[in-house]
Amino acid sequence: MNTESEKFYQPTAKTSIKNVLASVKLTIFLMSMTALTVLIGAWCPQESASGKEKVVEQFGPDAAAVLTQLGITDIYHSPFFLSLIAMLTVNMIACSFMRVFPRVKLLQKPLPFLAGKEIGKLPVNTSVVVAKNDQSVLAAVALKLASKGFKVSTNQEKLLAEYGKFGRLAATVTHIGLLTLLVGVTITSWTGFSGFQPVLLNSHLDFHESEHSKLWVGKLPDWTVRVDATRREDHPTGEAKQWFSKLAVIDSKGKEITSQEISVNNPLSYKGVDIYQSSWGLDHIILKFNGNERRLDLRPMGKLYAAFLPLDQGTMMLFSVRADGTIKVFAKRPDWEGPRLLTEIKKGVAAKLGPVNIELVKIMPVTGLQYKCDPGLPVTYVAFAFIIVGVMMAAIPHRHVWVSLETAATTKVIYFGGRSVKAKVGFERLIKELEKQIGNEFGLPAPALPTDQSNPVIVPTLDSRSAGPKKVFPVQERKEQVLAGTALGASPNEAQGDS
Amino acid sequence: MSEMQMALTNTAGITSVASFWVFAASNGFKNRKDLLVKIGSGALTLAFASLTAAIVMRGIDAQRFPLANLYESLLWFAWATMGAYLVLAKAYGVRQLGWLASLTALLMFLYGSWLPQSQHDIQPLVPALVSYWRWIHVPPLIISYALFFLGGLSGFIQLYQAGRIRSLIAAIVTVTLALLAVVLGTFTAIDTAWLQILFAGASLIGSVISFKLLGYVDKTRGDARLAEIYDDVSYRCIAIGMPALTFGIITGGLWANHAWGTYWSWDPKESMALVTWLSYAAYIHLRVHRECSAEKLALVSIVGLLLTLMTYLGFNSLGLGGLHSYGKFK
Repeated sequence: MNTESEKFYQPTAKTSIKNVLASVKLTIFLMSMTALTVLIGAWCPQESASGKEKVVEQFGPDAAAVLTQLGITDIYHSPFFLSLIAMLTVNMIACSFMRVFPRVKLLQKPLPFLAGKEIGKLPVNTSVVVAKNDQSVLAAVALKLASKGFKVSTNQEKLLAEYGKFGRLAATVTHIGLLTLLVGVTITSWTGFSGFQPVLLNSHLDFHESEHSKLWVGKLPDWTVRVDATRREDHPTGEAKQWFSKLAVIDSKGKEITSQEISVNNPLSYKGVDIYQSSWGLDHIILKFNGNERRLDLRPMGKLYAAFLPLDQGTMMLFSVRADGTIKVFAKRPDWEGPRLLTEIKKGVAAKLGPVNIELVKIMPVTGLQYKCDPGLPVTYVAFAFIIVGVMMAAIPHRHVWVSLETAATTKVIYFGGRSVKAKVGFERLIKELEKQIGNEFGLPAPALPTDQSNPVIVPTLDSRSAGPKKVFPVQERKEQVLAGTALGASPNEAQGDS
Repeated sequence: MSEMQMALTNTAGITSVASFWVFAASNGFKNRKDLLVKIGSGALTLAFASLTAAIVMRGIDAQRFPLANLYESLLWFAWATMGAYLVLAKAYGVRQLGWLASLTALLMFLYGSWLPQSQHDIQPLVPALVSYWRWIHVPPLIISYALFFLGGLSGFIQLYQAGRIRSLIAAIVTVTLALLAVVLGTFTAIDTAWLQILFAGASLIGSVISFKLLGYVDKTRGDARLAEIYDDVSYRCIAIGMPALTFGIITGGLWANHAWGTYWSWDPKESMALVTWLSYAAYIHLRVHRECSAEKLALVSIVGLLLTLMTYLGFNSLGLGGLHSYGKFK
């Protein structure tokens, strides 16, 4: 049977659910599951990116069917992955509001000054017996710490210095960034659209085939984009250096609004829609055979493009087309070892192959245009900035130094100690430097530090300050809590960082 | 490749080999340890300086930022590993990390030297890489990979100093098998499906065994104080590598949005970078909230090393395609 006090501390079902939702263990579990799912997605070609054929090509039809049925070939749209993301979102929101954001308030509260006995319990500590019975020794310590970037505060013969306080806001800033990212992605998902369209020269790009989410409340543009010119620029070695397309924006009445030449990494932006040069190729050639026009579709073959024209059983004409417009005509018969060059065709010059005159009418280029409308992008960019700043702040070590000048018989002893979450070795070096400097300037032989282990004093741990939206005590009261072993209102569990 | 550039790269490779052997020998000659460590550090400093000059020279020869294919990225990786070690050695006075850092650098030199000549030659850029975003997006990623490698290597030394010898051996075998899969995938025609199984199987089974063997402690070996220092070194590497990785992923998103109209397309390389990011985010959460022991965290950093290896080299060598195939040559 519970006593009255036990009943008082019994968590309610509501509190319990909130604690589970905001627990770090849940975060770790969900992160691990998300990482595992993304890993599977990276391993298995995704239908949305590579097409179903790629899955079949890689795994064979039977295995591909099983993978499809399991949802692995479209894992990023699977209910399992979407549920994981939803749970991670809930966990992040709960963590943010229950533990991470309240830390900002806790950081504004001052930590207590500590006496020599408490300083002796800190992870890094030392003491120096000083000859001078004045405040100059404390001033020297303050000066040294300030020169190392510490923010120093003093109270009579005690000193507290803190470094990298803003580093403690890293989680807050990063979580704000992640939540903002969710807002940005949601805006885009509900109102944005995107797509890809190969467009022939003098043809139009429209947006009717664009992709968007199921929960979509956006509007597609009524204007189109005409490709007025498109070309490829090569390196001297023949590889593509850059692709260009001259685009004109045409309104619903057929009037040209604006025009611009785009290239890879240099898109056209109009009314919130960005149009990118994504790929480039030759689509087909039109030849005249004794005056009769015939269209031959081209396929990319390394640096060239090729069209095939079957003549009779086993005989094939092959037209090899360079991006600069030169066409070489080959023939291939089963009894020949390789194709034989027959002739070369240039624009405006007819080639004669026996009784057949061949003229080049047109080489039709095709430009691959990617387009997107992303109304959530400004919000997403703000989120990116927060995330970058947040993770950079996380690298800043957070350090505390406590100093106390105390009377011991006929001399004075200066105790100093502290802790650092990261870069502990550098911190220990700093304390040693401090000890050496004070010893050289003011010191006498040092006494042993007070180390009464029978009555341990629990000083505030760094993580105990992140112990959730707990009661924050005034400085004097907080020190009493420190001396009583319940620092900063944190439970013993929380003092170990299990917050 | 110009003769000067080749000479500088070879100097960096040879001095990193010398540095490795001198560092390794320092463990066998206790009374000359300090001298040998100084010589090893000196050789590594020379290797770093030579490689810096070689990279600059390559940029001048190519008339572009010299980070556009696998060979060039390996030079950067070796450069970042050596540079980060020199900074850590100055800040922490760590010695044992020296031979692992020089071993990593020389492995990268060897791996790079075995690549086809086309990778060594200065090649023109494909259109997608003609952008100022290349030098904003790629270097932070390579630097983060190098730091994560050093974090994982510190984890190895930490396990040794904490007396977790059995767990350490399991972890070394795991990473060696994963490296073997990457090397076989790069230089042989073995079916990548088998190599994927080797990499994934070794990583998964080896990691589980390493965690299970953490309970066996050899108290006659190691030094608790050094274990604590290497724990701090590992955390420092990851704490600095994480912003670099985040910056690299986000700037990659910005570049992709600028070039292709989408900042995230679940491309395999993007996805692997996200997996690595999530694993180190989990490490930081575990660390900050003290959810597990320092030795377990050392193993988490080694798992992170495996994921980094997969993201950086395993991605192309083990046959995963996608938009980031610039490092691919087969």
